[in-house]
Amino acid sequence: MNRVARGEGMADGLPTLGALVALMVAVEVVGRLDLSLFLPTFSAVARVWWQLLQAGPLLGAALKSLVAFGIGFGAAAAGGVVSGTVLGRFRLLGQVFDPFLNVMMSAPLVAFVPVLITVFGISDVVVIVTVFLFTFFVVVVNTRTGFEGTDRRLVEMAQSYGAGEVQLFLRVYLPSALPAIMVGLQLGVVNGVKGLVVGEMLLALVGLGEFLVRYANVFLITHLYAVIATIMAVALLASYAVQLVDRVLIRWK
Amino acid sequence: MVGPLTNVQRSATHPLGIAIRGVSKAFGRVRALDDITLSVEAGQFVAIIGPSGCGKTTLLKIVAGLLRPDAGRVEIGGVPVTGPGPDRAMVFQDFALLPWASVLRNVTFGLEVRGAPRPVRHAVAQRVIAKVGLAGFEHHYPHQLSGGMQQRVGLARALAVNPQILLMDEPFASVDEQTRRLLQDDLLTLWADERKTVLLVTHSMDEAIYLADQVFVLSPRPGRLFRIIEVDLPRPRSSQTTRASAAFGRLVEDLWGILKEMQ
Repeated sequence: MNRVARGEGMADGLPTLGALVALMVAVEVVGRLDLSLFLPTFSAVARVWWQLLQAGPLLGAALKSLVAFGIGFGAAAAGGVVSGTVLGRFRLLGQVFDPFLNVMMSAPLVAFVPVLITVFGISDVVVIVTVFLFTFFVVVVNTRTGFEGTDRRLVEMAQSYGAGEVQLFLRVYLPSALPAIMVGLQLGVVNGVKGLVVGEMLLALVGLGEFLVRYANVFLITHLYAVIATIMAVALLASYAVQLVDRVLIRWK
Repeated sequence: MVGPLTNVQRSATHPLGIAIRGVSKAFGRVRALDDITLSVEAGQFVAIIGPSGCGKTTLLKIVAGLLRPDAGRVEIGGVPVTGPGPDRAMVFQDFALLPWASVLRNVTFGLEVRGAPRPVRHAVAQRVIAKVGLAGFEHHYPHQLSGGMQQRVGLARALAVNPQILLMDEPFASVDEQTRRLLQDDLLTLWADERKTVLLVTHSMDEAIYLADQVFVLSPRPGRLFRIIEVDLPRPRSSQTTRASAAFGRLVEDLWGILKEMQ
């Protein structure tokens, strides 16, 4: 994943592009066989998508979703990296919080959304907090693992050259944890998008989730796919943004 | 830029001696070192050898100031060691290079930690990188280099801070025999140039005799000073003349005899 993610050049992108084109063709062919209402052609979905986009509301909804995602993800990323750093550098704290983290990592966080709705009412805040919850823990755990995995020998080397605590952190621990932190953020994007859709669908009144629920209820399958494609585009966009940061920060690999 | 550099060069002309007095160290119930007393004269090349478990690396870390002895003390030029200091630099068995940093950044690490300004760092780095034969590799990353080249980076990093004492922890144990011999010869050349006190931990009898003026033999569990061998082979030494000499063979055999005796 990383080699592609780091974009070793245009040539490496070609297989990915090829696979995408193949998938589109396959969807088109299957759609034309007219097997089921639930398998529309690619071109039909694309046409509807374009119409929805031009009509306005889809773009507005996507923008709204993107903003909610940005806020939730940004807060979770910042908070998660800081918390993970603290837990990773102070072993005792790490041990204290270990069971909670494990619970939150494996818990079906969807269950919390109704709670959030009762607390925050039907508003964007619910979506933002849901994105936060879905993102936060995976970032914390990966960040912590990154710091804990710092090579003792490098720490010793730095100490032998007189590095103090601050320098150890900046010159050894942080660069050493960075790849794991970036993995955490990439997983965070994936989870965060899930949180976004889950939150919006349960609210059924905001963002792209609103459209999902509406079209599903009236069996506008082609429209439904158009919205799903939009969500995937949002996810892809967010994921590429993180990969871009990754590539800038970790050039040495 | 000229000022700090000449400073650096001046301190190199004053190597410091090492005095280890009654040093003991235990890890939990395991006694690693027991009452080690030995001294190394300024400018000497000394090797510590012993079977694994004799605590030789522990002793080196105590001299480096990375570990505190349970009893006894270490003095560098008459001053007790309380922690790592600019008078000492260590070379590690597994190189301990920062994988995310270029050769240049690795070599300047010690200078960076000590806050040397960038032009000074780069000037010093250029000099030591050339000295260890890595000119042109400044912007390579460790994983792009062979083991031998990586250890040259480790050596350059140590030389860059211009310590009076070089502490080497089995520095050539992780490279192949061919590379090891080249590195040993290069180390001898460097040492002849820079006149530093060298404390080298090794498990290679050949290496200890070939490089050192004196070899301290430690016994295992707990590590005690078992014997001191004076290596009176003439310098400069080279593989052709030194290794081929009868005296070299005899010293290695003597050392082997001592190590066998301890078993």
